[in-house]
Amino acid sequence: MNAEFILGLAVLAIGVLAVAFPRDRSYLTRLINLEIPAFGLLLIMLSFDEMLALLTFIAVTGISTFVLVRILERRGPV
Amino acid sequence: MDAVYIAGLGIAFLSVIVAFYAILREQDDLHRILLTDLAEILALVLIALVATDLAEALILPGLVVGISELMAISEVFLVKESLSRPRYSPLSIEVMDSAPAIMSLALVLYGIVLSGFSGGALAGVGAIFYFMCRGHDERFAVIETASGYAWALWIFAFFIFMVLPEYWLFGVMTAGGAILLKVTGKMSLVGTMRGGHNE
Repeated sequence: MNAEFILGLAVLAIGVLAVAFPRDRSYLTRLINLEIPAFGLLLIMLSFDEMLALLTFIAVTGISTFVLVRILERRGPV
Repeated sequence: MDAVYIAGLGIAFLSVIVAFYAILREQDDLHRILLTDLAEILALVLIALVATDLAEALILPGLVVGISELMAISEVFLVKESLSRPRYSPLSIEVMDSAPAIMSLALVLYGIVLSGFSGGALAGVGAIFYFMCRGHDERFAVIETASGYAWALWIFAFFIFMVLPEYWLFGVMTAGGAILLKVTGKMSLVGTMRGGHNE
């Protein structure tokens, strides 16, 4: 349990920095970097055996990526 | 273990501070929307650190509220920037015309064989895949009607629990069916986001 928890926290911290201050400040980079803290959250949920929350989070992440990509598609890459 | 847990809480709070600092410094609206998604993930981390069944019970509504909030904000953004239509014809994927029936049949059958939560999730994915590949025109009046009846059924099920507790199974099934109907209505609203019309 401990290893997953520590790994999850590390991935979360790295991901938050990557999303907050991306090297290449474009929408797509930020959107892709958003997957990193999400993966950290998944590892933390896994370490606490929160199976229902984990599965639902995966499903909702799919929908939210769809919503965000829809905005990006209409806005055009900047 | 305790020290690790406290350190985890500390890292989570530090991440929240970093995320909100980034939102504060950001000027562009779309970047702000993306950072809002980050803030949602961090809120879920704080809830997940409760680490009991209470965390699961709190995360599920948190996720639902988060996704509906994101959809509402994205609609507001599109209206504000007057970006109502895509500038080119939308992606056409051939698999989405030919595969849905057999794929979703296989998924639903396998889900029924698996049973339990994972089986239900699998069967649900099959059903969602099927409906996502269909056209996206919708009659809003029908959704509203179904939603209203589902709400009434749900309340009715609660009255069964209170007045006739010996028929609890009937009450559970009524409430479950009503919730299923309501969620289906919401999912079909997601479908109309692809530019469906009100028939």
